[in-house]
Amino acid sequence: MADKQVETTGHQWDDEEGFPLQEFNNPLPRWWLYSFYATILFAVIYWILYPAWPIPGGFTKGVLGWSQYQELQKEMTDAQSARKVFDDRLSAASLEEIAANPQLLAYAKAGGRALFANQCAGCHGTEGSGTTQGFPILVDDDWLYGGTLQEIYATIANGRSGTMPPHLQAAGGAFSEAQVNDLADFVLTLSNRPADKAAAERGKALFMGDAGCHLCHGDHGRGSVLDTLGGQPLDHNTGAPNLTDGIWLHGGDRATIVQTIARGRASKMPAWGVDSGESLGRNLGPLAVKQLALYVHGLGGGK
Amino acid sequence: MKHEVFEKNIPLLFIGVILVTAIGALVEIVPLFYIDSTIEKVEGVRPYTPLELKGRDIYVREGCYNCHSQMIRPFRDEVERYGHYSLAAESMYDHPFQWGSKRTGPDLARVGGKYSNLWHQTHMRSPRTVVPESIMPNYPWLEKNTLNYGDIGVRLAVMQKLGVPYSDVAVAEAKADLEAQANPTADATGLRARYGAKVGQENFGGQPGRITELDALIAYLQMLGRQVDFATYKAQAR
Amino acid sequence: MAVPPPVNPSAKYDPVVRAPARGATPRPPVDLSEKYDFTVVKWFSIAAMVYGLVGFLVGDLLAWQLTFPVLNFDLPYISFGRLRPLHTSAVIFAFGGSVLFATSYYVVQRTCKARLFSSLLTSITFWGWNLVVVLVVVTYPLGLVQGKEYAEPIWIIDLLITVVWVAYLINFVGTLARRKEPHIYVANWFFLAFIITVAVLHIVNNLEVPVNLTDSYPVWAGVQGALIQWWYGHNAVGFFLTAAFLGIIYYFVPKQAERPIYSYRLSIVHFWSLMFLYIWAGPHHLQYTALPDWVGTLGATFSIMLILPSWGGMINGIMTLSGVWHKLRTDPILRFFIISLSFYGMSTFEGPVMSLKSVNALSHYTDWGIGHVHSGGLGWVAMVSFAALYHLVPKLWQTRIHSVAMINLHFWMATIGIVFYITAMWISGVMQGLMARAHDTFGNLTYSFAEIVQATHPYYFIRAVGGLIFLSGAILMAYNLWMTVRHAPRVTA
Repeated sequence: MADKQVETTGHQWDDEEGFPLQEFNNPLPRWWLYSFYATILFAVIYWILYPAWPIPGGFTKGVLGWSQYQELQKEMTDAQSARKVFDDRLSAASLEEIAANPQLLAYAKAGGRALFANQCAGCHGTEGSGTTQGFPILVDDDWLYGGTLQEIYATIANGRSGTMPPHLQAAGGAFSEAQVNDLADFVLTLSNRPADKAAAERGKALFMGDAGCHLCHGDHGRGSVLDTLGGQPLDHNTGAPNLTDGIWLHGGDRATIVQTIARGRASKMPAWGVDSGESLGRNLGPLAVKQLALYVHGLGGGK
Repeated sequence: MKHEVFEKNIPLLFIGVILVTAIGALVEIVPLFYIDSTIEKVEGVRPYTPLELKGRDIYVREGCYNCHSQMIRPFRDEVERYGHYSLAAESMYDHPFQWGSKRTGPDLARVGGKYSNLWHQTHMRSPRTVVPESIMPNYPWLEKNTLNYGDIGVRLAVMQKLGVPYSDVAVAEAKADLEAQANPTADATGLRARYGAKVGQENFGGQPGRITELDALIAYLQMLGRQVDFATYKAQAR
Repeated sequence: MAVPPPVNPSAKYDPVVRAPARGATPRPPVDLSEKYDFTVVKWFSIAAMVYGLVGFLVGDLLAWQLTFPVLNFDLPYISFGRLRPLHTSAVIFAFGGSVLFATSYYVVQRTCKARLFSSLLTSITFWGWNLVVVLVVVTYPLGLVQGKEYAEPIWIIDLLITVVWVAYLINFVGTLARRKEPHIYVANWFFLAFIITVAVLHIVNNLEVPVNLTDSYPVWAGVQGALIQWWYGHNAVGFFLTAAFLGIIYYFVPKQAERPIYSYRLSIVHFWSLMFLYIWAGPHHLQYTALPDWVGTLGATFSIMLILPSWGGMINGIMTLSGVWHKLRTDPILRFFIISLSFYGMSTFEGPVMSLKSVNALSHYTDWGIGHVHSGGLGWVAMVSFAALYHLVPKLWQTRIHSVAMINLHFWMATIGIVFYITAMWISGVMQGLMARAHDTFGNLTYSFAEIVQATHPYYFIRAVGGLIFLSGAILMAYNLWMTVRHAPRVTA
């Protein structure tokens, strides 16, 4: 292309050694120039169609009237209308009715699975298989606040605060270190594990008496969901765990049990169905909570 | 015109460069300060509490913005995954902004309230304990380092100078407010009077009696994206 | 006027490295080392090589950290978030900056036939810039940053940078003023524009109020802060990494190829259009964010209009070889120049495409962006820097290159490393974007974020391997240059 017939500009630099710098004066490549014009044309058309230039009092809106938020709105409306048939049926039916309808249930669980993977798995693990101490596994049938559809729905919608008060004096409780240890020995016996018999006896007296453990954990330590207090059912909303089944939220070794009794625990489950005030969580909407409840209920342990 | 004049005259070349580069900058940047719709008029966005501000400093120090965005774009998948798209108003007190440029980790614009404090404590200590797929580094030093907040008043004063609406009282009481927010049993009347009733007053870091860097960072993370009430917000074209 | 033959045709040249052939009678000495200040050029060349190695090494460590997070070692000082800014600053400002100081100081002297304006200002730029680098290396791992990408240095360092930069500007302009040639050569237009614009960008973006000796809060906040940051960030690419490196092309390619620049006219048109258009492109980093729509439109359209002006430099560089294409077969330095221009052409097309809202919706926040900056950063900036250093070092030390075979090997290692790197990032980036927006038949999100991270793992491994190959090539280069300098004839008084 460039050839020796093309003249240089006649200017020369850096001629002290080797080849000096010079410049040919080839014309602008045609394709280059026309492509450049084409991009300018593209830009001008774009400016006419879309919001583009700042002007006094605002900016040019573009003849399409496009805005990124309208684009989103359309995207969301399209998505919602595609789902409307099923969503409407889901909204109208009770949790139990949905559970009894395989088609609706499959739809609800598919939505629940996606919501769970993005919102819940961080704490409860993939498909509810658990992560670490402090975050309940959802694939078993051990429920702190009850495993019925309604109870699971309530837990997700409103969140939960599981509070175990501290018992050691130094931590704001009312009991000595020895008494805390006695309690721990008794708790160990509840799940049939070796413990100091005499200590466990003293612990039992505290559990059923001054420490008031039975008020939440029940007369047999089987927790608020399963146990009773003087023959009466307990309030499921305290979330007091079953101490007899060998499933431990915060860990079941002796040292951890002592720690739990001594310092107490404050577990929080965010709320997903109420507008956030001071509480954790956000409002995913009743439909989403419904789908989540059905999904979690179906993970393996729903009652 | 002969281009030669630029090639032989340094001041002309100099001024030419300044002029052609100034136009674009001025046309794009200056209107952002005067077009009213640039920052939405919304209720609820408040300056950071002293503890949150310290947390934000730690967020910057650790370079969290290298992997986490704080900007939910108006797309269906982002809105479904992270929540309502981010408003300009929500970062108007962010010196500097932390929108980020890459999501090696998830967006954090609305991470506030999504997880419990216990989760954050566990996660910062060892992310893979709770999220096996995570490639985030462990941050074990945050719960070990006592928070250094002796200069918190100066920090608020600088922010005030930059236009963040801290009252003089807020600046004077910065230290007390910081300590009150990190202690659930402290008197928080002043804190709430200055920053609103929704301010979380918790033992964020999980170590009673100690204020660590983790307390500050979690306090910051827990407030992200929770100020605007989107039940009442109406979208505005911008 | 026809193309003249080389000034000294009788001297025996090594056809590849433009230096006296081994065993040949040296050319009649043109005592340039007395006439010009080459000492600072030598020192900046050495600095460039050292900082390049550090920057690449840290970069590859980061790539391995993303593959195997255990490599963060639970140490604050080397955790990813603190190390990543060190990588970007090291490669852009320490390595790239030193290359630019070396080449611009060399080029401006040669093309003006004038010694650098002030030896004091020269010293200030060299020692000042190196002090900046040392301070950055110390402060970033300590977590002393101001939280703006590519502008992380704390306010004290920002002040020092300003001082150095003003010294650089005066020194450069002063040298131009002393020129013995009537015309300012095109390479110097680019260098001058780069120095002026970077000064403005740096100062405006880093306006900040100190809290104490190390900490400060930037004046700009939120949406305005975001635009100013990316106006800065994008034009750091535009003027630091593009305009200035085009300056290198305009001097070194014709010198290495021994051919005149292809088109003077094209250089004028693309210089001014590049200057004017580039500055508008920053907002394309903020598409679909809380930045108003109109700004995003300007960012995208100006990016598209920027394609051809950017390509002007590529055309002028590559077409300068017309008539001497055969030299590519024997001259690996020219090959470095040409492949760098090819990557430049590719990146300056890819970038505008990514700036379009619909493409950006997919590409932004993903590894595609990382792939893009590395096809520009490694493919263009690093390759052209390598070529310039290979050209410069034998000239400065008045010797021949130690091993042409090693340059050849380096060329292939660098190229293969880059190809591994960018293809891995393209695939993972597009995959991330598609996975994030995927919906199942019922309209639910198909993947969680954690699943996207998991799917990315193999690509992170490939990327880290590619980086390692690239780094190894750079180590080979350092060895080659070191041997070259070591065997240079000692000047005796």
